Amino acid sequence: MTTFREYRSRIAAGSEPVHDQPALPSYAVPIQGERAGFVTRASAAIIDVVLVFLVVLGTVVAVWMLSFIVQPATSQADAFAGDRVPRVGALIAYGYVLNVVYWTVGWATGGRTVGNLILGVRVVNFRGERVRWAGAFVRALFCTLFVPGLLWVIVSGTNRSVQDVVLRTSVIHDWVVGVPGLTRKEHP
Amino acid sequence: MTDDVSDGLTARQEVVLTTWPAAHQPAPAARTLFDVVASTVGLATQAAVTIAVVVEHSVSRAVATPVNAALDRMVPVIAAAVVERIDLTDLVIRQVDLGAVVTRALDDLDLTSIVIDRVDIDAVVAKADMEAIIDRVPVIDLANYVVDEIDLPQIIRDSTSGIAGDVMNGTRRQALGADRIVSGLADRIVFRRRGRKLDAPGEPQSLGGRFREDLGGDPYDGGPDDDAGAGDVRVGEATEPVP
Repeated sequence: MTTFREYRSRIAAGSEPVHDQPALPSYAVPIQGERAGFVTRASAAIIDVVLVFLVVLGTVVAVWMLSFIVQPATSQADAFAGDRVPRVGALIAYGYVLNVVYWTVGWATGGRTVGNLILGVRVVNFRGERVRWAGAFVRALFCTLFVPGLLWVIVSGTNRSVQDVVLRTSVIHDWVVGVPGLTRKEHP
Repeated sequence: MTDDVSDGLTARQEVVLTTWPAAHQPAPAARTLFDVVASTVGLATQAAVTIAVVVEHSVSRAVATPVNAALDRMVPVIAAAVVERIDLTDLVIRQVDLGAVVTRALDDLDLTSIVIDRVDIDAVVAKADMEAIIDRVPVIDLANYVVDEIDLPQIIRDSTSGIAGDVMNGTRRQALGADRIVSGLADRIVFRRRGRKLDAPGEPQSLGGRFREDLGGDPYDGGPDDDAGAGDVRVGEATEPVP
């Protein structure tokens, strides 16, 4: 217990207040900053893919409903006609594009997608910094097109996927409590 | 001192008193005259004293009232005149050791109890200008101190772990356990005995206590770096730093 007088004298002496207690469960403290394993990363990816799938599904429903404005239904069968929704191939392509865009934005802005946030991991580059837009885009494209690359995490001695090895990125444990804020730094 | 005396027997002497009735003799005439004169003188003295006392009482009664009245009128006037001609303050300051007087008085008094007993502290506080006092209190410092002392991050964790945080941490923990099982199995299959090297560069935000963007640059960085396409991830460039 520090008295207010001691506290003020310490601040006056120029020391910063220290929060010794990280807002973390104690068992998670030692692993912070370590590379995450396969299950964690696969779970995060699955959550992201499910989210993208839901968005694709939502798009299909929206397109289907909008189609009635362009071409009102004449019969029950016409309402559920196949030509009212995009073809499966187009939807898959759309999903891939959406996935690449989503992962790019997530990794370039905060190093996290929703799946990463839930599983408490973050993508960093070889310097331990947040990947930039170009790097995030390349990684997102690589991860989306070559999903089996993640399997390398299982055998890798450093928990790296093929994408991590090639792009020299890491997926580290970083269990934030809430949604991290994207604070803008003061520019001089 | 002799041995005889110390003996205690020869030193003791006895005195024997014997009385017998005196023979009645008629008083001589001179003696009688003396008695009469003495009685007369004593009576006269007594009478004189009594008269003196009575006279004193009477006189003092008769005189006291007008004298007191006169004094009542004169003394204040005289005192005022005297005080007027004397610089009393200066006199006291010069002649009296005020410090000693005050110190002595304070030594004798229990000031705290006097204040507690006789001062209406509530009334004093009610009259105090609280705004002026608060203006002088370092409120922000105080607030920071309280936040630091009560360990706000812990409280936030406690409150958030109640709902979403618990689920999230549970999920993360289970995934972590599964990771270890999977990696342990794989390590056994490939005969990796030293375990995995999981150290990665960078400082986790979770250990910073707050969400700082101190790991990279500006998350909205639209500066020349990005425009030049110089991302941090450079394919095929530079080798892995040797630990």
